[in-house]
Amino acid sequence: MELNRLVSYSLRIGVLASVLLSLVGLFVWAAGGFDNIVSAAGPGIARALASAFQGNDSGLIYLAIVILIATPVFRVAISSVYFVKKRDGKYVLISLAVLSMLVFALVSGYAG
Amino acid sequence: MLGPVDVLVILLVSIIAGFVGALFGLGGGVLIIPFLTLVEGVPVPLAVGASIVSVVATSSASAATYVQDHLTNLRLGMFLEIGTVAGAITGAFVAVFLPASVLFVLFGLVLLYATIVMIRARGIDFPADVRPDRTSRILALGSQYEDHSLNRVVSYEVTRTPLTVFIGYFAGIVSGLLGVGGGVINVPTMNLVSKVPVKVASATSNFIIGVTAAASASVYLLRGDVHPLLAAPLIIGVAGGALLGTRVLKVTPPTRVKVAFGILLAAMSLLMILKGFNLPVVL
Repeated sequence: MELNRLVSYSLRIGVLASVLLSLVGLFVWAAGGFDNIVSAAGPGIARALASAFQGNDSGLIYLAIVILIATPVFRVAISSVYFVKKRDGKYVLISLAVLSMLVFALVSGYAG
Repeated sequence: MLGPVDVLVILLVSIIAGFVGALFGLGGGVLIIPFLTLVEGVPVPLAVGASIVSVVATSSASAATYVQDHLTNLRLGMFLEIGTVAGAITGAFVAVFLPASVLFVLFGLVLLYATIVMIRARGIDFPADVRPDRTSRILALGSQYEDHSLNRVVSYEVTRTPLTVFIGYFAGIVSGLLGVGGGVINVPTMNLVSKVPVKVASATSNFIIGVTAAASASVYLLRGDVHPLLAAPLIIGVAGGALLGTRVLKVTPPTRVKVAFGILLAAMSLLMILKGFNLPVVL
């Protein structure tokens, strides 16, 4: 597949999944009588994500957020794979440089 | 506590933010942060966390279309990301040493200069016979796109690439430190320094800012600064608004985009300078 289509599809699927999960989350919240939702932090995020599979409103929205944040990272990763397959050395280096910095930022928390 | 009316209002406002963000290659955080803090009374950290998530959504939603239409210069975008992502990480490290106020004033002045250059050159999108620099030739950055407002294929070269990456690095520091400013610096830099058509600059900036914002968003998420009831309507709204924005950009003449961006830039630079002098402006 051409790189433009590969990148475009990855972004589209990520955004669509995130929008749909957000919508479902809001509907569940409305059906439950607009209960008070508080934001989760640290390990609480993992617990919220697990509760998404039981149809919990805030869990579904956290899943939407995580998928959304993963989308651009996935886009960089899939571009790296594309350039490796095309044996385009210069762009393999460029995309891997971006990907490794991103992973560093995600793991260390040094970003913004 | 957020009720159904708040959620609905946030959704409607975020359609506008997504529209403006997609059109001009910005995240739209400039609109969302003041709205959430001033109108909805949301605490600043939660407003910034929500705004960063919406930047990821605006960027990904609009880039999906722009990349498909070849309006985004993928190669240039990926190369610039080295600068902006490195800058965002540096920003997080130097936050302790660098006073944000100095940066605000500095970048406000740079953007003011960019505004003047942009408005003065409003008649032409980019000069003819641009000679690509060495980096641009090696990485094959020159490209073309089909302009639906001009009804022709526009071919362009990219020049002074190292300088644009260097400025992109500082744009990354600024957005890492201040939470805003990545896109608003990248678009004029690509257009005025590297002579990239303004619509390509906007589309490519949209492509780039998602990556930087994703890294920041993860930090805000783990810190507990991303509230589900703010994020959900924002994600839905900006994604919808971004789709509208991409359609409008496609059919708008480049020179008109340039003038509109120039006006936006003027307002942004003045706000940044005022903010630098600790005047109570929300940005």
